[in-house]
Order: sequence, then structure tokens, then C-alpha cells
Amino acid sequence: MTFNEHELVIGCQQRNRVAQKQLYDVFGGKLFAICLRYTKNRTDAEDVLQDAFIKIYENISTFRNDSPLEYWLRSIVVNTALNHLRQQKYLKQLDDIDGYENGLSGKELILADFQWQQLLGFIKELPIGCQTIFNLYAIEGYQHNEIAQKLGISEGTSKSQYSRARVLLQEKLNKETRFDDGSVRNK
Amino acid sequence: MDPSETNSFEEQWKKAFQEASETPPLSAWEGIEARLDKEERKVVPLWWQTPRLWYAAASVAALLMVGVALWNGSGDLTDAGKQIAANKTQIEGQQADRNNPEVQQTEKSIQDKEEVIKTPDNASETVIAKVEPGRSKIAPAGKLPQTTPEHLASAPGGKESGKLAKTGSAEVLPEGNSIAAARLTEANKVLSSGESNKNEDIAVLSKNTNAAPEVSASAMDAASQILAEALTPIGYKDLDVYVQKRYVFFRPDALNNIPEKAAKKKREYYAGVGVMPASFNPNVKVTSAPSAFAYANASSRSTVGESHAGTSYAVQTQGGKRLSKHWSVETGVSYLQGNSSYEGDGYLIEPATSRSQNVLESALADKNSNQGLSGAPPASNALYIDLKKEFRNDYRYLQVPLQAGFTLNPDKKFSYSLLGGMMANFFMNNEIESASGNVITTKASDDVYRSLNWAATTGLRLNYRLSPQWRATLTGSYQQSLTSGFKNNETLEAHPYLYGVSWGVRYSF
Repeated sequence: MTFNEHELVIGCQQRNRVAQKQLYDVFGGKLFAICLRYTKNRTDAEDVLQDAFIKIYENISTFRNDSPLEYWLRSIVVNTALNHLRQQKYLKQLDDIDGYENGLSGKELILADFQWQQLLGFIKELPIGCQTIFNLYAIEGYQHNEIAQKLGISEGTSKSQYSRARVLLQEKLNKETRFDDGSVRNK
Repeated sequence: MDPSETNSFEEQWKKAFQEASETPPLSAWEGIEARLDKEERKVVPLWWQTPRLWYAAASVAALLMVGVALWNGSGDLTDAGKQIAANKTQIEGQQADRNNPEVQQTEKSIQDKEEVIKTPDNASETVIAKVEPGRSKIAPAGKLPQTTPEHLASAPGGKESGKLAKTGSAEVLPEGNSIAAARLTEANKVLSSGESNKNEDIAVLSKNTNAAPEVSASAMDAASQILAEALTPIGYKDLDVYVQKRYVFFRPDALNNIPEKAAKKKREYYAGVGVMPASFNPNVKVTSAPSAFAYANASSRSTVGESHAGTSYAVQTQGGKRLSKHWSVETGVSYLQGNSSYEGDGYLIEPATSRSQNVLESALADKNSNQGLSGAPPASNALYIDLKKEFRNDYRYLQVPLQAGFTLNPDKKFSYSLLGGMMANFFMNNEIESASGNVITTKASDDVYRSLNWAATTGLRLNYRLSPQWRATLTGSYQQSLTSGFKNNETLEAHPYLYGVSWGVRYSF
């Protein structure tokens, strides 16, 4: 039996296990990729995913059809990941970082040449604060004032952490060499 | 930083991860399932988590509070209200200060704060995605209501305001509106601390209201009182009345109809009794002269006689079944006493014995030769007396009708039924008054009359509902025999017909 999105929501609201499993099967992959972006290892990502799905099942009765289901699910996963980081005290002290504002210029990036797994590796290598703020700003699309509110930091901290993340990522990308066959490898 | 470059950079990253997906390990679902099983065992009712119910409960509580307030009347203020009222009287002398534009500005800011308080009701309905970020927003702000009341209480001259802050935020506002509560207490804090003539607090107030005028100490006193006024419960008579039209689709008799309909479904059967005064005419005709009349050379005169209807009656019982709203079928048993008379053109008389015989008597004697109707038939020398004589000719039948009925206005007090069907008339006996005054009885066993006669029947019945069970009926009916009542139609024929009006009652069950 395959449910459409609306039926999935209703099924999950009724705590139907088949619907819950199917929701997991449909969206679990994408949501796990988000968890991987916000954590340092797969074990933490798995914990976040589990917490997020429990939260989804518990709160799906509050879901309204005025926004896409996937957007709602992603929001929950991101918030769960942030809670996880807070619990782990990773986000306890995020300071302003100076000196990165001018280091953003560089050659034009072409990320299309990279697999998302490679890019994920670069993000995970960032310091946790930079990693989180980069995810929130660049990929999730939050504004700095929203990020500041979410993480309980100043807007300036968010901006400087993001700048640092950008510079670090650019450095990592610059290390890559593009070969004639189109593949990208380490120098 | 070039904005286009920034967009390009972020969009590229966003695009790179837009469809990113990695199958989670099997253990992830197993862990989720185990936790779901554990939570199911807790048996947390679903409604407990439904915000709508909480909103409904809050609405009911609010309505109750308003109802109690209205019940007590506008004159009954709470303790806090009384204190505020006392403050009001104190500052009446300062009314002049209220005309100060700065104070008016402050008053406006208080109103603004009140509006801010109202808005989070809608915000609380946001989806969970927004609740999460909301928590982080609330968390730092939520500290304010805990600390500010104390601060307010300790502020000189700010006790009343402190109390107001407590009642305003902790009691009146729902838990979810802590942001608004924080803002309210912040406003109170600023205003009450203004009473202590601290200019820096006044500056904060000015910042909140997007105006930066210098407020004097007296103005702030007035402002504090205005705040008290603003929070004073307004008598319901002073409130603007907004009339909301509600269209409630309610049919007053609907409740009465429901049990009746249910009862009607059960009352598919009915039984009735009635008495029918009727006009019965056996319509007997002598088709050919009886032998005695033929002997007397009165053949032609013997066939001239005719039947006259007499006052008759029938006692009826009925049983019926309602097939649908309009259609019904019914049967029953009736006893019909059909009285009539026959007027013969003349009669025979035997001179020797002075015995006389009317035409019917003579005809029946022919039919029932085995049994002399009045002893022996008149002798062949009988004389025909050409004198009209009417004599009694009564019938008794047992009737079994089978009728279909179509009822108009079946649910009304008055209803009308059109009836039509067949009637089986079982012949019981016939009594003829002989010319000599004796009664000649013919029974079914005499084999003169048909034991079963079919008749067509039709009628119109007026039903009047006395109660859900009982109805009074008035039925006009007409019955017409389809066959002759006599077995042998050589000399006699009878095609009885009847007009009647039946009075009866009917019980539905």
C-alpha cells in the first residue's frame, strides 16, 4: 500500500505504523543528509534523525497543509540538530572572528563539479560553529538575525563565523584540481 | 562583497545539497520504532496533544470569567481594581497634566503595548517548525516576567503597578504569550521606575514609543495612573457592543418529529372498528315469470317488481398494514345486515285456502323445489291480484374486504385516504316476508344463493389524528356486486349495491 503525502500525514496523525514507516522511507534519506551536515559523525547524525522523527510523529497533528510537508520536516530536523548541538555544548561559546572579511575574494567557484558527499566532507571539517552557521545561512537560507536569535548569539558573531566558514571552504575547494576527464581530486 | 557573487556562492551550495539523500542505517528505524512502541505503552491520549482542545478550554474559561464578571455587574471590582480606583481619585487633581502631549504619547504607548499583548494569540497557532525557533526566542525573554515583578515591587511608589504587572502577566495572559507578558512587564517596569524619577528609564520608554521627549516626574506619575486606568476593568456598559448575527438552523418542531417518526416506523400496522349505517339494495329482479304466475297468466306482470333500499348497517373490523408513507393495504371482517324491500306488481291468491304468494316467494319456491317456501305452491287455479304490495327482503352477509389505500397528508392532523379493492361477501341468510306475513328464511345451505359473491368497493376515508396511536375515521364507501347473488339466473337475479358511511376508530401499533 502506497500513501500519497496527504494520506501519509493523516496516517501518521492516527499513529498508523505503516504510514509512519512509509514517511520514514520517503523522507528519511534527505533528512539524514541534513543530519550529516550538522554533525561530525554518523552516530550523532543517527541520533538526531531518531529524535527528529519522534518529534515529527508526536507533532504531526499540528502540521497544516499551508506549507509543503518536506519543508516542515526539514525545519524540524534542523531545529533538532541545533538542540543536539546545544546539549553537547558545542554552541556554548561562539565568538566574533576578525580578519576574514577581506579574504573572500578568489576565483569563481563551480560546485557542480563536486559530488555532494565531497562538499559534505568539507563542511564537516569546519569548526562546529562555522559548520552550523554555514548550514543555516548558505543552505537553509536563514538570515543572520534569525540565526542570531536561534543560537542566542549576536548578529555580528553570526556574520563573522559565516565569513570564516566561507574562507575555509574556499581554501579547501582551491586545493582541489580539476583534471581533463572532469574529475576533481586532491592536489 | 559583491552581492551577485554571494548569491551565486550560496545558491551553488544550496543547489548542491537540495537533492542530497543518504539512506540511513537500519538501526535508525529500529531505534525509532522501539521508542514509538515505548511511547504507545504510555497511552498518551491524542486529544491531550491537540492544541485545538486547549484553545477551546481556554475559550470556555475566558467566557466563564467574562460571564462571572458580567454577573457580578460593572460596579463590583476586584481588589486590584479597587486599588486602581483609589489611585484614580488621587490623581484627579492631576488631570491638567494629562493634557500634556508627552503624557498622551505615553498613554498611546500603553495602548500600543496592549495591542501587542493581543497579537500573540494568532502567533500561537503557528506550526511546530516555528515553535522551535520560538522557543529560543522565548527563552531569553521569558526571564523577564520572573524578575520584573520583584523589581517593580521594590520600586518606590510602584507597588500598585507591580501588582498590576503580576496580575496582568501571570494570571491573565496564557502561558504561550510569555513574549507579550515580557513586553507588558517591561512597559510596567519602565513606567513604574519612572515614578522614581529615573531619567534613564524614561529614555527607555521613549525608545519603545519611537519618541524621545523628556518626561517630567509629574508626567510619569500621571502615566503610571494612566496605566492603572488602562488596566482597570471597564464596566460592561461602557464597552463597545458588537453584535454578531448568528444564523442557527433550528426547526422548533424537529425534536418533536424525531420520536414521532421513529414511532411511525414502528406503527406500520393498524386495527380499527366501525359501524356503518348504509343503504343496501339487493337489486333483485325477476327475469322470468315463476311457474305459478305463469299459470295465472300473470307472466308479464311478475317481472315488473323492483327492490327498494332499506336502512341497513354493518359492523366492521379492520386490520391494515402501512406499506409506505402513502400506501397501505387493509382487510377485515364485517357483518352486514342488508335490509330492503321488494315491491311486487301483484300477488297470487288461492280462493280455496285464501293462501297468497308474492312473486319472489313464488320464484324462490321454483328454485328451491325441494323445500316448500310456504307449504305447498298455490294451486293452478290461483288468482292474480293486481295490487302492488311491498314486502321485506333482508340479507345478511359476512364481508371480507381487501382494499388498497392511498393516503394524502399522512403526517397531518387530518388525512384523506382513497380506498379501492374487492369485497368477498359470504352469504349467511335471506329473509323474505311472505304475502301471508310469515318470514321465509333462505340459508346458504339451501343452495339458492351463491355462498360467495364478489363485489367491487371504493371509498374515501377521512382520518383525524386523536393521538399518535388513535385516529377517528369517517369513511364513505360504495360497494357494487359483480356477480349475481343467485346460483341459477333463470328466474331471479340480484346485483346488490350499497352506499354507506362508516364511523370508526383506528389504533396504530
